[in-house]
Amino acid sequence: MSLVIFTATGCTRCKIVKHYMDQRQIKYVERDMKAEGKEEFQNFYKMNRSAVFRGPEGIEFPIIVDGSNIRQSIGAAIAYLHAGEKLDGFFGVGTLHQEWVDGIHLSQGDPAYGDELIQVLQYLKSNQLKLQVDTDGRNSEILERVIDEGLANVLIMNVLGPLELYPQILEQDVDGQDIRKSLGLLCRCQEARLQTTIRAVKRKDGSLSYLTPAELAATAEFIQTTTGSNKWRYLIKHLPPGESADNVRQGIKALQWSELFPYRAKARDYQVYTEIERT
Amino acid sequence: MTQSKKRIEEIIFEERISYDSRHAWVKIEDHGAIIGISDYAQDQLGDLVFVELPSIGDVFGRGEVFGQVESVKSVSSLIMPIGGTVTAINEELEDDPELLNRSPYSQGWIIKVEPKSLEELEELLTSRQYADYLKTTEG
Repeated sequence: MSLVIFTATGCTRCKIVKHYMDQRQIKYVERDMKAEGKEEFQNFYKMNRSAVFRGPEGIEFPIIVDGSNIRQSIGAAIAYLHAGEKLDGFFGVGTLHQEWVDGIHLSQGDPAYGDELIQVLQYLKSNQLKLQVDTDGRNSEILERVIDEGLANVLIMNVLGPLELYPQILEQDVDGQDIRKSLGLLCRCQEARLQTTIRAVKRKDGSLSYLTPAELAATAEFIQTTTGSNKWRYLIKHLPPGESADNVRQGIKALQWSELFPYRAKARDYQVYTEIERT
Repeated sequence: MTQSKKRIEEIIFEERISYDSRHAWVKIEDHGAIIGISDYAQDQLGDLVFVELPSIGDVFGRGEVFGQVESVKSVSSLIMPIGGTVTAINEELEDDPELLNRSPYSQGWIIKVEPKSLEELEELLTSRQYADYLKTTEG
């Protein structure tokens, strides 16, 4: 079966993905959802609604379909065309538009495929796109390469919490040196922003509770001691329980805006430019 | 390609039906009521790619969500202009959602209901009132 690419008329990102396939002589069938491919796209959408991401601007194009494999957005599409499923995890569907590409998660994929990831980012950059990448500190070697090659126009570091809470938050073993090294690299990036999401953490006794203001302060202190600076742009985010993928966390009471004030006050002891994200 | 929206004076209004301010319409027939969305609503949504319909026998109150319409750009809930029990659904919309774009007042009807109370119709708008409402809200 041929690979199908669903495009939207005038979509520049779709053209870049088609050009990538043309250059490598990858056979494909194009279906423009505004023109001759309208009916086929409707059928595809009806069958795959849950797999199709919608951002603030609607459905993101291109979407490529290779048998049962569906990849949406320019990053995920080129990653799949370049390395099959090896780069899954590194790319999601972003929400930025025009020349910006986001949804590039350096910590979420298999670091064994760092070379392939770098090649995809290089291709995106070579098409005059600007990249916003994010990391939670894992895969610091990949982060170092991305920074050294100037591939990240903006780097978002999600500092999940104080280092000792990382294994509980991620529910897996974490190499603390990896996280420290990533934080230490921030000062070499063109533009870096730090953020911590106040989320429900599964505690050692099995209970579930939000990261506390004291734990956020410890996170801000960790950033200060590791980077040597207390002047990062540092954002406090709150993940409403309803948006959690985890059923247990969905049952937790959402925090009110005013309940985040103590977090900000505590964090400012170590990061003076701490702010709360406005939603 | 950006799809241009109709100007208010280009919107089609049907005379013998009632509207609500959330852009649904109701037409009373011998055996119940037919419900759809207005030409204005379909135009705002753009080309539809999916219509989620309720099941026959489902009961909804006025103002309750009874389904969903999805275009490439947006997702919008379908809201009951009157309460009632669903007696028929337009299955053609499942295979051809753009029927709703092409013919919002006729072939693109969405559901038929047995109304809970015809008194609720008195709270709806005439085509002229609905047109005036659009002019005031859309400028």
